[in-house]
Amino acid sequence: MPWALYFLAFWLYPLGYSFCLSLTDFQLLQGQGNYVGAGNYIRLLQDPVFTKSLENTFYFVFGTIPLTTLLALILALFIAEKIPGHQIFQAAYFIPSITAMVVIALIFYNLYSRGGYIYSLAKLAGFTPPPNGFLQSEHTALWAIMAMDIWVAIGYYVLIFLAGIKAIPSELYEAARVDGASFWRRSWNITIPLLKSTFAFVIVLNTIRSFQIFIEIFVMTSGRPFNSTLTTVFFVYDKGITRGDIGYASAAAYLLFMIILIFSLLQFRLINTKRTS
Amino acid sequence: MARKILITIFLIGFLTIMIFPMIYMIILSFQEPGTFAVDWQNLTMTLANYAVVFKSNNFGRYFFNSTFVALIVTLGNMFLCAVVGYGLSRGPRKVTWPIFVSAVAMLMIPQHVLILPIFQMMLKLGWFDSYWALTIPWLISPIGVFLMKQYIDGLPSDLEDAARVDGAGELVIFFRVVLPLTTPALAVVGIQTFLTTWNSFLFPKILVNSNEMYTLPVGLALMQDPRSSDWPVTMAGSTIAALPVIIIFLLFQRKITEGITAGALKQ
Repeated sequence: MPWALYFLAFWLYPLGYSFCLSLTDFQLLQGQGNYVGAGNYIRLLQDPVFTKSLENTFYFVFGTIPLTTLLALILALFIAEKIPGHQIFQAAYFIPSITAMVVIALIFYNLYSRGGYIYSLAKLAGFTPPPNGFLQSEHTALWAIMAMDIWVAIGYYVLIFLAGIKAIPSELYEAARVDGASFWRRSWNITIPLLKSTFAFVIVLNTIRSFQIFIEIFVMTSGRPFNSTLTTVFFVYDKGITRGDIGYASAAAYLLFMIILIFSLLQFRLINTKRTS
Repeated sequence: MARKILITIFLIGFLTIMIFPMIYMIILSFQEPGTFAVDWQNLTMTLANYAVVFKSNNFGRYFFNSTFVALIVTLGNMFLCAVVGYGLSRGPRKVTWPIFVSAVAMLMIPQHVLILPIFQMMLKLGWFDSYWALTIPWLISPIGVFLMKQYIDGLPSDLEDAARVDGAGELVIFFRVVLPLTTPALAVVGIQTFLTTWNSFLFPKILVNSNEMYTLPVGLALMQDPRSSDWPVTMAGSTIAALPVIIIFLLFQRKITEGITAGALKQ
């Protein structure tokens, strides 16, 4: 089992190491640091840029997840109806999920800019988009990135919902069919209640993923304009890698980790109590 | 019947939204340099952007790096995850249980916590900005170990016992008896690893900093300021980064779906 060591070396050790770093004022350029205890954490909570990044991240997570889940569920229910070509839809919806995020962010950067297709479409529809493009205004940039994220993520969750639907024994539907229940009635009364654990999985997975949003921000806005798209992982990257303030950035990373952990546990708790009651 | 038609129309409408940006990328990559948005009345078909990408942007090198790193990491994962999975599945429970639990816990740990410590480790080991940094830390993944262990758990151990009675050594048993039986799971782990490695951006961005070491996503993101870039060129680069993955997906669609849903249903 020497390979288990490998595993420990590159996964468990960094985790502990990063916690130790978060307690120091380690600077990349000086190559050393002193123990400062909880100092970094206290500094973080008083740092308006950090709290702004948390706020943006929360907006992002709670703004995208309900819509992504709902849309993915509806699409999965439709695809499960086995209309001709349903496999083509399933595959096509999944393509954005397997494409590199950098590529997608670049395409949407073009589409969102002034003169880009989405920009022009919004104009045609009678809206007045910000003069330089959606990503250049602090009022629309975060929303634009959120919309793109929903588009990217849907296909993956459609797949998971479909797997959940397939696991439902078909006898349950036979009875409904004999009764002549409609599609919506069948979905609402049979499929959706039986998908509880799939819901749990989808939401927890998506929460963990959404809290870590980074590539889009790096490629599209770098947190601009006015920090309106600055997310916490981008904050960690910017402070730690770009500016070399490793101790401080480690503390930020750990704080976010704790938040994710609490949310995942809360979600599991909530879903479990629902199931038992 | 009417219901099915309505559903089909809805699904097709959505299909357009999902596919359009990808098609747009490919078409824009063939337009005259300097074009900003595709003009459907005035479509051109030029390979000039691809020439630019390969000649002045070093995309040949990025492509090689991406392929090389993805292949090494994929092979490493297939082998090491199988070894660890086998050990965890057949070893004494007292030893394997804590390791397995920590592997499952690792699945829940967000990657961003690892950015700074791994960056530090690579600097200290002197692996920063080399292929070592891009491959060695990623040769084994918790999800791969998890999938392999679950799969080997489902295999009967009779064959191994028979081989043992015949006097086969542990290595022979692993390579001749166990490994061939795990092919379906190996394929799932392999394809998934390849896709994630090919697309990964965060760690390659942090762990290398010279142009010769960039992988495709990194090279693409740092190619030029997207705010003032030549879009058909950017899109040519994007197409080069995206197309291999899409082709692999279309070829191995069933395996990929299987891998994702296997992880999902085990929860």
